[in-house]
Amino acid sequence: MPRLTLKGLGKAYGPLKVVDNVDLTLEEGEFVSLLGPSGCGKTTTLRMIAGFIEPTEGSITMNGEVLSAPGAVLPPERRRMSMIFQSYAIWPNMTVAENVGFGLKLQKLPGAEVKARIGRILEVVKMSHLADRYPAELSGGQQQRVALARAIVVQPSVLLLDEPLSNLDANLREEMRFEIRRLHDEFRITTVYVTHDQAEAMATADRIAVMNAGRIEQVDAPHLIYTRPRTRFVAAFIGRTNLLEGRLANGEIGLDGFALRAAQLGGAVPDSARPILLSVRPQSMALHRTPPVAREGHPLLPATVSQRTYLGESWDYVVRPQESGLQLRVTAPPLQVHEVGEKVWLEFDPQQIAVVN
Amino acid sequence: MEGISRRGLLASAAIIAGSGAAARAAAQELPAHERELYEAARREGQVTWYSGQQSAETSEAVGRAFGERYPGVHVNVVRSTSQVAFQRLSQDIRAGVAQCDVFSSTDYSHSTFLKRQGRLMAYRPRNAEGLMEFVRKAGDPDDQFHVFYIGVHLISRHTRQVSAEEAPKSWQDLLDPKWRGKLAVGHPGFSGAIGAWAVLMRKMYGWDYFTKLERNQPQIGRSSIDPVTALNAGERSIGVAVPSATALLSISRGNPQELIYPTDGTVVIPSPSCIQKNAPHPNAAKLFMEFATGPEYFRTTRRYFSESLRSDVPPPEGAAPLSAIKIIMPTPQEVESGVPEVKEQWRDTFGI
Amino acid sequence: MTDSAAILAKPAALEARRSGLLRRLRYLEPSNLLWVLLVAALLFLVAVPIGKLLIVSFEEQGTGAFTLSNYATAYGRARYLEALGNSLMLGALSSLFSVVFAVPMAWAVSRTDMPGKGFTWAMVMGAFIMPPYLGAVGWILLAGPNSGFLNQAWSWLTGIEAPLVNVYSFTGLALVIALHSFPLIFIFVKSALDLISSEMEDAANILGAGTLTAMRKVTLPLVWPAVLGGIIVVFLETVALFGTPAIIGIPARINVVTTQLWQFFEYPVRVEVAAAYAMPLLLITIGMIAVQKLLLARKGFVSQTGKGGERRPIRLGGWRWALLGYCVFVGALSVLMPLAVLLQASFAKAWGRGLSFSNLTLDNYAYLLFRHEMALTSIWNTLWFSAAAATAAVIIAVLVAYIVARRLVPFGSALGFLAMAPFVIPGIVMAIGFYAAYAAPPVALYGTALIIILAFTARFLPIAFANSSAAVRAVHPEMEEASRILGGGRLLTIRRITAPLISRSLIGGWLIVFIVASRELSAAVFLVGPRTRTMAVLLYDLSEAGNFEVLAAFGGLLLAITLVLVAIGMKLAGRDFMLRRN
Repeated sequence: MPRLTLKGLGKAYGPLKVVDNVDLTLEEGEFVSLLGPSGCGKTTTLRMIAGFIEPTEGSITMNGEVLSAPGAVLPPERRRMSMIFQSYAIWPNMTVAENVGFGLKLQKLPGAEVKARIGRILEVVKMSHLADRYPAELSGGQQQRVALARAIVVQPSVLLLDEPLSNLDANLREEMRFEIRRLHDEFRITTVYVTHDQAEAMATADRIAVMNAGRIEQVDAPHLIYTRPRTRFVAAFIGRTNLLEGRLANGEIGLDGFALRAAQLGGAVPDSARPILLSVRPQSMALHRTPPVAREGHPLLPATVSQRTYLGESWDYVVRPQESGLQLRVTAPPLQVHEVGEKVWLEFDPQQIAVVN
Repeated sequence: MEGISRRGLLASAAIIAGSGAAARAAAQELPAHERELYEAARREGQVTWYSGQQSAETSEAVGRAFGERYPGVHVNVVRSTSQVAFQRLSQDIRAGVAQCDVFSSTDYSHSTFLKRQGRLMAYRPRNAEGLMEFVRKAGDPDDQFHVFYIGVHLISRHTRQVSAEEAPKSWQDLLDPKWRGKLAVGHPGFSGAIGAWAVLMRKMYGWDYFTKLERNQPQIGRSSIDPVTALNAGERSIGVAVPSATALLSISRGNPQELIYPTDGTVVIPSPSCIQKNAPHPNAAKLFMEFATGPEYFRTTRRYFSESLRSDVPPPEGAAPLSAIKIIMPTPQEVESGVPEVKEQWRDTFGI
Repeated sequence: MTDSAAILAKPAALEARRSGLLRRLRYLEPSNLLWVLLVAALLFLVAVPIGKLLIVSFEEQGTGAFTLSNYATAYGRARYLEALGNSLMLGALSSLFSVVFAVPMAWAVSRTDMPGKGFTWAMVMGAFIMPPYLGAVGWILLAGPNSGFLNQAWSWLTGIEAPLVNVYSFTGLALVIALHSFPLIFIFVKSALDLISSEMEDAANILGAGTLTAMRKVTLPLVWPAVLGGIIVVFLETVALFGTPAIIGIPARINVVTTQLWQFFEYPVRVEVAAAYAMPLLLITIGMIAVQKLLLARKGFVSQTGKGGERRPIRLGGWRWALLGYCVFVGALSVLMPLAVLLQASFAKAWGRGLSFSNLTLDNYAYLLFRHEMALTSIWNTLWFSAAAATAAVIIAVLVAYIVARRLVPFGSALGFLAMAPFVIPGIVMAIGFYAAYAAPPVALYGTALIIILAFTARFLPIAFANSSAAVRAVHPEMEEASRILGGGRLLTIRRITAPLISRSLIGGWLIVFIVASRELSAAVFLVGPRTRTMAVLLYDLSEAGNFEVLAAFGGLLLAITLVLVAIGMKLAGRDFMLRRN
């Protein structure tokens, strides 16, 4: 039995559908990230799972028991879940230990056990030495750790995280990303993680559900989301990409000024003749000053550099293939310098090109 | 915790025992008719007295004297101007709440009105037999109200601002333009005594008296006592229709005032008191009536310069004996029909 | 699982109903019942009295039949209409005076480097906590045309007989009222000024405007909404004020709406006419708020909410001493001088005899504390009525604020509206509404402590609500959600998380309600019974008896009690807890 199932879940405020027909299933111990731009309905979905918002359509089921359906919502306090909030929501009137022990006391566990479990979890999040501090005396990262400890210590059936790292600075955010994943590997708590930051989702999740305009566009493992985006939105939202419109006919994909053989592309390609959309990542192309040794199935096109931007870790070139109106972004290593107007050879890796619906 | 509550218990037990002893001692000294009432009143424990008659201080002293004579019966003194006292009683009646036991005001019409409405309890205090005759007669023949207070209203002057020679001698003299901006008077809308005084002035000189008085721009207070205060402060120099008791009290404290008994008559206003039919403490109310018509009451109020209405208690210090001056006194009917009229006329003339 | 097994044995229809009920029970939040109770409480406290007032104004006395005659009576005499006109003029004049007092002080404290800001604060605070009727008594002693200390000093200095100032005049009345209502405008304007960044002024300066021009053209226009809001509040307060007009207005022969309303309560009590006569007060209020909306609709005042930018005091040079002088002047008029004469009178045998050792006595205080039948009772009444009302108001307010802030029920904002409504209902109208609705049987609350407590609760609910709502809004909802998701129910969460977080602000709110309730006269004077008199009412009764020495001593007691409370408030809720604008 799956741990958590969202079935046809929807939330409408009047005519406005914020969440629309969302289906999602989490197996026990799985870590799923809801990823999408702000306003896509991911937080609303999470808050419906938590029981703070009543759905207008569909249902939420945990271990086979219906938690939420229109008109019948089990209050959050009876769901045996826990949650980490964007603001951390660490209670300033309680010490670290009191914060962490709050949920345990509500479960009416014996005092000795509460104490032991607080001690253990604080050790896990490396906060033992600060147990008697008040939140006002802690840094942002430390508060975040308290929030993590407080949520994990109750051994929830589902752990929910709502943009937990958005208030931290960049370095700390990276550190905490791994911390969250480490804790998940240690405790294997079924987790739903809401974020708008793809790097966070990539680093932490077993699967990512990309949401847009209230709907789930694609649910897949992080590398598949990146390499095999199934929709135009996913392709554009995850990483940077060149979206090329073409036409499939006789096993060839005709593009503006050149063509690719469909059989060379990685992943499934439809076989009937029709218009088609390709996602070509900037990293999947290479630039050459002179024509390189042709590799089997790697199309090579003459092109002109029309813009360039130096980003430190890489160059970002915009090139125009000859006899084509296309403008393609290509990433090159820092030492590979081309002037604007220079003629170059553009090499494609068809394996990294995905067909998008 | 326990210790405290036990100590509290012991303390209250001691108080109860103590008051019991005091009450027994007090009861033995009382005349028979009072003793009987006292026993009943003690079970009621208190009596609420709405009064607009004496000054606040005197009323409070009466309350204390009563409590000393009858330990265990407490007087709730609700002292205000007569009209406000009656306003409170009216609000009680309108709201259907019984709170007042004894009602005293300087406005005759209050008691006659209540009598007509059937709201009064008839009771003849035995002690009333010792009152002066004109006072006894001023009470209700059906014993529904009695008089144990008369207001004596006259003129007073600030001795440093107005010499004895130039001072007004009569009510008529007050209309002289030389008193413009110098007079102070109460308001018939607030004070029953001022209402009765206005009725008498209207009867003697017509309403014209007040239109002329208005031209002298008197300062209008609320109670009839206000002018005494204004004189004490030096704010005004002539007090109009001031009660003798308050003025004498002020004089005794060193304030520069002197009484003037007007040649056209000192206003004496018999001020009735009555027991409410729905009195929550009927026996205590009767006992209060006995007390207020008895000598102890006048011995108390005399110290605050209220007139003694019993021949066995002398008049207050500094007051002329009632027999030696010209007295004018309104009839109950005049007061009852006249006061509402003069209130309206007053507001039209004075704008307030 | 065993449950459903047992149910399966029963007829299907029953099972469906049973499981439906069980399900509903399972999903029910126990707190829902509380919201229903709150709605009932608000209706009882606010809607019913005002509704009843409206109804009664169309009822014939005794029969209850529909009639317009109450309105005919209420507006049928020139004197009554004149009182209405007087009230409007008085409101306008005292608002004007208040602006003149408050705005320069607010600007000085908020934007400039004027010295003595602490002193100015103390003066404003003093003017705020001193009951207006006490100030009125003080000013009678100061500015009685012949006996007032100021006038005596004037004629002693100049030899001129004619008085310098006369408190018994229209201007005098308006001035005395303004001296105790200007802190309202001060609070409004200062908090608005605090929000304006110095860059606003810098921008004007760089374009060539001097300090004065920048203030006139930029700063003051930006706080105009606050000034206007303050004016409206002062206007409404003035129009609804009873004590000061009764004490000063009657000798000055100025009749206003409130003293006229009091006359309708003379025998025979004409609640119906009073209700009809009170309607203009409500209409004026509604009108003022409409005017405010209209005036503010056209321009943007966005910068008011702006947080960015630093705030530096403007350097005034020598002018800062002039400004301080002005603040001291206002402080002297509103606090120092009245307080000084009141204290002098309270320790005097006869205040007219002035300051001398032979005139000194403690007897006025001793009389009140040991010999007066009512004084101690009224102190006790005041303390516990105010405490009860403050507690009730804060509890209701915080619950409503919570419901509104967390959007727990569909029409939550209607609850908030009801809780704020008494703010625009003059206290005296509120009291008449309470009298009309609850004095008589079947409720029969007249003369009880309860009716006063309820009236105070309703009257000061908006203060408590504004305070609570700011406090609740400051608590991030996630603080509560964090508790709920860990298994804490709604009520447990409120108790364990929300309440401790907002308790400090709530204590502040409680004390403010307590303090204003402890000096409230307008609402109390119509509702007190013989045993439920409060200090304010007793003080008013004492002012009728004309004994200024005892009156002043009682005022001294009232002030002493208030000061103790304010001190407690400052300790528990912060130095400026009275003057924060929510």
